[in-house]
Amino acid sequence: MPNNSADNYITAKQSSLRVKRYCISICGGTGCHAYKCEKVSEAFVEEIKRRQVEADIEVKTTGCHGFCERGPIVVIYPDHTFYQRVKPEDASLVIESLLNGKKVVEHLLYVDPITQERVTSVDEVSFYKKQCRLILGNNGKVDPEKIEDYLAVDGYNALRSVLFGMAPKAVVDEMKKSGLRGRGGAGFLTGQKWEICRRADGETKYIVCNADEGDPGAYMDRSVLEGNPHSVLEGMAIGAYAIGAEEGIVYVRTEYPLAIKNLRTAIKQAQQANFLGDDILGSGFNFSVRICQGAGAFVCGEETALIASIEGERSPEPRVRPPYPAESGLWGHPTNINNVETWASVPLIINRGAAWYAAIGTEKSKGTKIFSLVGKVNNTGLVEVPMGIALREIIYDIGGGIPHNKKFKAVQTGGPSGGCVPASLLDLPVDYESLTAVGSMMGSGGMVVMDEDTCMVDVAKYFLNFLKDESCGKCTSCREGIAQMYDIVLRITQGKGQDDDIVLLESLGQIVQAASMCGFGQTAANPVVSTIRYFRDEYKAHIQERRCPALVCKDLISYTIDPERCGGCVVCAKACPCGAIIGEPKKVHKIDQKKCIKCGICHTSCPPKFRAVSIVSPVIS
Amino acid sequence: MRDNGKTGATLVVGGGIGGIQAALDLADSGFRVYLLEKSPSIGGVMAQLDKTFPTNDCSMCILAPKLVTVARHPNITVITDGDIEQLSGDAGDFVVTIRKEPRYVDEEKCTGCGLCMQNCPVRQILYDESQPEDLRLDPAEVAQIEAILQDYRDRKGVLMPVLQAINNAYNYFPRELLKYMARELKIPLSLIYNVATFYKAFSLKKRGRYVIRVCQGTACHVRGAKRVLEEFERVLGIESGNNTDDLLFTLETVNCVGACALAPVIMVGDEYFGQMTPGKVQTVIDKYHKEGKGYAE
Repeated sequence: MPNNSADNYITAKQSSLRVKRYCISICGGTGCHAYKCEKVSEAFVEEIKRRQVEADIEVKTTGCHGFCERGPIVVIYPDHTFYQRVKPEDASLVIESLLNGKKVVEHLLYVDPITQERVTSVDEVSFYKKQCRLILGNNGKVDPEKIEDYLAVDGYNALRSVLFGMAPKAVVDEMKKSGLRGRGGAGFLTGQKWEICRRADGETKYIVCNADEGDPGAYMDRSVLEGNPHSVLEGMAIGAYAIGAEEGIVYVRTEYPLAIKNLRTAIKQAQQANFLGDDILGSGFNFSVRICQGAGAFVCGEETALIASIEGERSPEPRVRPPYPAESGLWGHPTNINNVETWASVPLIINRGAAWYAAIGTEKSKGTKIFSLVGKVNNTGLVEVPMGIALREIIYDIGGGIPHNKKFKAVQTGGPSGGCVPASLLDLPVDYESLTAVGSMMGSGGMVVMDEDTCMVDVAKYFLNFLKDESCGKCTSCREGIAQMYDIVLRITQGKGQDDDIVLLESLGQIVQAASMCGFGQTAANPVVSTIRYFRDEYKAHIQERRCPALVCKDLISYTIDPERCGGCVVCAKACPCGAIIGEPKKVHKIDQKKCIKCGICHTSCPPKFRAVSIVSPVIS
Repeated sequence: MRDNGKTGATLVVGGGIGGIQAALDLADSGFRVYLLEKSPSIGGVMAQLDKTFPTNDCSMCILAPKLVTVARHPNITVITDGDIEQLSGDAGDFVVTIRKEPRYVDEEKCTGCGLCMQNCPVRQILYDESQPEDLRLDPAEVAQIEAILQDYRDRKGVLMPVLQAINNAYNYFPRELLKYMARELKIPLSLIYNVATFYKAFSLKKRGRYVIRVCQGTACHVRGAKRVLEEFERVLGIESGNNTDDLLFTLETVNCVGACALAPVIMVGDEYFGQMTPGKVQTVIDKYHKEGKGYAE
């Protein structure tokens, strides 16, 4: 039976939650932090104090709402009024509207980019309408620093029902039935992984949460850890119970200070409330969690390297599998490693049942997946959608299309291990198998949208540079092969490409893929191979015509001033950092190509009424 | 050949895989070969690798038979621990002076069993406790590092957390502190060095008061992060990875700070600046110039 003292503690805590008339929920995610959301929150608190309406209105700083493009975001409950780009000086207006009969503050509302209409309710915003926010949903309702908030949304109920109503084997079976697959990228069945670890010999077992979110362009794990750390802890506790582990470790990137802070607070609170620690809720089950910080090495997201890093080993490199960590992991003990998002899904599945979860998504990919929709798209932010949704729906319906009426060119999924999906495949359903089939992968869920101004060769160069730096160097094929591919792509972008370079890249790509040991090397060629596959013309333009069609590669472009348009305003000449612009007031300016360093400042500083600076390729000699 | 005063002997300089193969080819075609190597043994870098590019074949499996052949070949003389002092003459008639370092082992008698190495008492000592190295640490520094170390003594897997803590306190790893830590935690300095240089967040070089991190994530890249970085490099007059002379700024890149919606984004210390353009760079730097006024080391 549940321990009474713990129960009393919870009821006491819950009853301390007074429900006020209005709750102003202010997004405190990293994106909104950069927009100085804490100033907004202070302004609201001050304003409420000034008007002495503390009894009616409460202010809450929550986790990430996902719509980072429009931060700082404020949502007012129970009306669900959605305000965006809120400034501290708006606080009095908003509170005024609440007190004076619920009129909304017009200029803070979101304007739909397609219909040009102002939207009042958060549920009506096109960005949120098509989403299915199972994991992220509570982010906007919960103050991550308060366990009471998490309890108020039925937090730790799943753990309780598991501890007092299910045998460990039943928990594993439930996970298997749900069809949940690892959200870190590879998509291994979570239930099966647990089963292997549960059956492995050994007294001591470990649970690891992989929060080393290294993929550039992906930040959903950060958002979950920052906004709802208890959901991850609850998932881990359930997993530990299922496989028989007593110790858990969360391996977090050091680049995420807020996530570390919130997680630390959450662990402490969960211990106090006896959701972690010894004899959890009187069930006799012990489980403790500690945090381990990474230090900026992409390869440490690979599970065997991650283990080596926790152990503090000499250059934490991946090692050969088998044995898999589920059999021999941390310090030689069976270890179960899952991604943040996977752990956060666990309580949901227990609470609402495997059948419910399995009904969402496609035949082989179940449930929802969070993507970070970023790059050249109107509504950037975190989106959670059911598996199998078409790319077009994500980019156009949720993302609101491409800014400045530019043309969509490609979407890069799966980070440095993924590939670029071109416009012709926009109707592709997003699931593990479909993405792999077109030469990309699910990865951790980064989705970087590229428009016509993005050079695909430059993108390939960017990823190779990244991979070249991050390769641990254990396999020669990966270490040397990526460096060679980088050199080749580099010379292509410099206009020194040779005719057979494309063939050479393709064959190098094959070798790197075939001869490398871990997932890093096996997928390292994807960015190059997929861009060659879909954008061969761009490579050819660089090699044969010494031209960059997207006007990106510095060595292949020149800046020039159109004498017809130039108004002689001297703005660009003043802004030019190297004195390359010759011109007097009221006279047409000219760029000295010899002095120009191609920084592009003239292009951005030229007043919109002239727009006289243009980029041309190939270079003006 | 004799008629024009040319000798049939060749000198191959460098005993790596290239030199070995050259020596073998020459010797097989009938030339007398002297294979000169600076280090105590031939084999070079390839002997240190586990695999070769691009086939991932075992490198020792390729190299070892060649080493044996070289050693046994009647036409090859191996000179190790040697270096060229002087070279004169013309093609076909060179005179080379070689300086050979002493080995202190009779090469004729040595069988290469390695027992001397195993038994050398100097090699056995990780840290000579009888002669503690004079670490130039003042009491305040010792107190600070002790405060960090006390939680981690006699536990396993502590290297990373300790390094993190030192990094948080100093922003880089002072040499003396690492030595102190090695001695106190009984972790070999070589291991500490290895781990400290593996991760991006660590630095053995002193860092400035404000560390500017320019995000080079994919989302930032497609929105022009490269240009922002170049502008920082130009304005500060340093390349990424370096400090300004007054130690006010350190410029670094980071692979992703996870604030992709604000791309391109930079961080100065803990503060984020989103939607950066080359034009905003000077403003950011001016702000910190003002704040850091009077900061001098």
